[in-house]
Amino acid sequence: MPELGRAALLVTLGLSVYALVAGAAAAHMGRRRLALSAQNALVASFVTTAVAAAVLVAALLRNDFSFTYVARTTSDALPTAYTISAFWGGQEGSLLLWLLILTGFGAMAVRLNRGWARDLIVWVVPVFAAVSTFFAFLVVAVASPFATQAAPADGAGMTPSLQNPYMLVHPVLLYLGYVGLTVPFAFAMGALLSSRLDERWLIATRRWTLFAWAALGIGQLLGSHWAYVEVGWGGYYAWDPVENAALMPWLAATAFLHSVMIQEKRGMLRVWNVLLVILAFSLSLFGTFLTRSGVVNSIHSFTQSSIGPWFLAFIAVTVAVSLALVFWRLPQLRSPTKLESPVSREAAFLYNNLLLLALCLAILWGVVYPMLSEAVRGEAIVLGRSYYDFFLRAFGLPLLLLMGIGPLIAWRRASLRSLTTTFRGPTIVALVTGVALLFLGAGSSIPGLVAYTFSAFVLATIVMEFARGTRARRALGAASWPAAFGSLISRNRRRYGGYVVHAAIVMLAIGVAGSSAFDRVAEAKLAKGESMRIGDYTLVYRSLDERASSNATEIRATLDVIRGDRDLGTLRAGKNAYTIEQQVSNEVGIRSDRLTGEDLFVIAEQIDADGSVYFRVFVKPLVNLIWLAGLVFLIGSMITLWPDRREQRRLVARAAEVGIPATP
Amino acid sequence: MARNASPARLVIALSVAGVLAVFLLYTSIAGGGNPSLAPSELAGRTGDVQLAGLVVGPVRGDAHAGGLRFKLKDISGDSRGSVGVLYTGSVPDLFKAGRHIVVDGELRRGTFVAEPGSMITKCPSKYAPKQSGDSA
Amino acid sequence: MTLALVLAAALAVACVVAVALPFIREPEPESDDLADLGQGEQHRLELLETRDRALSALKELEFEHRTGTVSDEDYRAQLGPLRRDVAAALQALGRELREGRPPDERN
Repeated sequence: MPELGRAALLVTLGLSVYALVAGAAAAHMGRRRLALSAQNALVASFVTTAVAAAVLVAALLRNDFSFTYVARTTSDALPTAYTISAFWGGQEGSLLLWLLILTGFGAMAVRLNRGWARDLIVWVVPVFAAVSTFFAFLVVAVASPFATQAAPADGAGMTPSLQNPYMLVHPVLLYLGYVGLTVPFAFAMGALLSSRLDERWLIATRRWTLFAWAALGIGQLLGSHWAYVEVGWGGYYAWDPVENAALMPWLAATAFLHSVMIQEKRGMLRVWNVLLVILAFSLSLFGTFLTRSGVVNSIHSFTQSSIGPWFLAFIAVTVAVSLALVFWRLPQLRSPTKLESPVSREAAFLYNNLLLLALCLAILWGVVYPMLSEAVRGEAIVLGRSYYDFFLRAFGLPLLLLMGIGPLIAWRRASLRSLTTTFRGPTIVALVTGVALLFLGAGSSIPGLVAYTFSAFVLATIVMEFARGTRARRALGAASWPAAFGSLISRNRRRYGGYVVHAAIVMLAIGVAGSSAFDRVAEAKLAKGESMRIGDYTLVYRSLDERASSNATEIRATLDVIRGDRDLGTLRAGKNAYTIEQQVSNEVGIRSDRLTGEDLFVIAEQIDADGSVYFRVFVKPLVNLIWLAGLVFLIGSMITLWPDRREQRRLVARAAEVGIPATP
Repeated sequence: MARNASPARLVIALSVAGVLAVFLLYTSIAGGGNPSLAPSELAGRTGDVQLAGLVVGPVRGDAHAGGLRFKLKDISGDSRGSVGVLYTGSVPDLFKAGRHIVVDGELRRGTFVAEPGSMITKCPSKYAPKQSGDSA
Repeated sequence: MTLALVLAAALAVACVVAVALPFIREPEPESDDLADLGQGEQHRLELLETRDRALSALKELEFEHRTGTVSDEDYRAQLGPLRRDVAAALQALGRELREGRPPDERN
């Protein structure tokens, strides 16, 4: 069966090359049947990639260790769910997943838009094909998942820390995000190539961008949660290059999502938008290059691999060609509309973009600095946590504030009077909150206090917007308050879905501020019966148990948790010693307070032979708001993504008015 | 017309300048980061550095009492330049002899004294290069 | 092994057919030209977009006035210019449809 896999991927490569060459020729010469043929090739490449994927999945499920990849990433004892997740657990398989999603998205995007954007699609096809040619080439010639060997008795197995439900979802979501960014990129390039610089490329890709952005966001949150509960060092984000690899394209995509709104409403920033989408796409490629190539010291990164140079070359070519295209079409891209006032919604969105990009580039600089300094000075210099934290605060806090200002400021030009009226309420709320928190002791961290105050401001503006909107709909004749609320959201999905997403980001900011600026840590070596204090908690170490599970020995220390005079139950923390893999994993004990969102986080760092344990304990205020924010983010994204019949009809009607050629 | 065009450009220029000023502020206050070295490059270096290498056993001591002692050698295999390390603080799960780790600290009288809790271990190869003997 | 090869061959053949399909279906088409947007149609599309943009800006002003984001004063100030934008867009569109020629570019 590996031959079928290899052959299928070879056909994929052939189809991609055909779609690239024939598609470009058809678009250039205006040949209809050739264009259709190229389109079909793109769709067919998804089918062949799916066949290859099926071969790999089948090999994984039947533990066929004659496949080198299967032997390297699984073992007989591995539960089925994790055996399937081994598909994307290694280099070759993850590249195949990338290719599968890429060809799938390409086929879908092209088919869905061929009716009303045919002249644009003819150029999108070869661009997409160029990207899939690269990845198909990688899996055929550089990192094939279908290498074979004499089958060993058992496979090498999977690292225990990867054997958890998060790893079933987190990588897939991230890939959906990374690959999803290819769609707006391909359409942007198609627009440049075809000189179809109207709004259609934006409209066609808006939901794709939203979807990719949401997937990247939720994927990252899941990864953070995994780090928090599974890796268990007490944190959720380490500014590790591989974590940054997902954050950077997400920040660029966030900027893009906002500036696209300006182009839609005012026709401005057309060059800026194309540059942003090129940046987002390039960063997604760069991110995956970082993860795989081993050029940076990272908790995730792996030994030097031959795949690095290929990625670097592809990124270089992509950036060079796309910038050349922008330069070529520059005269047509220039928009006549100008920014009228530095105090306006357009300006607020611009500042938002500037801050997001500044943060993104600061992170990028931090990531590549070791490589650059090594090349220039012969010595790799690493920038630590304090570097990233500084810029997160410097750019993140103003961004937080802007989230509350942007949606409420007028388009074109906002008068001072209108600003005072609009923002009087939220400002008062923020000031009152700030002063109250100061009295409660939040002055111990100025950035934390500022984050809380700004968050209060933004939340006040969001509540105000929902309240005023609902009242307006009620005045228009809605049957009841809930009906008014519902119809408000359903008739203005983008606006109010966006507000819900903003609320999620505010919750995230509060959670991050609380758990990082106002957290406590304590360490103690306890013998049985001894206790330790942290904040207003008292922990008493009661007992140590050992238990054998199917693939590990589990050691757990049990502690009593007391706060003030109330008994809060017990907490267990310890380690698992995995027999086959010969590895030990930390199993932390977490007690989440439902009311305050605070976590009591216990790590049994060292367990001595005499039964005494060295504990490291954290109190993390408000940390659970971060995970709740993920849920709210999901809801907000879904609201904005929800298909809008009215909008669809309007677009079709407009296409008909122009007489855009219908589907064959 | 000119009055309309200038505030925007001015504001954008000022904003970009502001952002750059923030960068400059940071680098002037905090300076650059720490050099990342292999054990063989450590000889004679002073100041805070980041050391990256392979753990060589035996691993002795207690990281929470007196310190964990082990040797670190170059990843590229040459064990001539190996350095003795004294480490205190949290020890990651994956730590053991043969692992690739990264740790911050400074060289003091021949021993690399690590900053407490600064050790990071690398996940064993998920994306390892192809082993010899594979077909295709 | 042979099953794999047979399946692979079948897959390859299917793909070739899929790719050749447009040519198989229409060996002698009336026109093989990719129906494309000419200059005029492209221009008309842009005019339509300008019109729709102006209309939605007007709608948004109404909405934001109703919810209180835009004060009465600002509303009155902005209403005029936005209405003029819509009128201008409709005029340009009307001219384009009547004459079938793009009006003079003013930029």
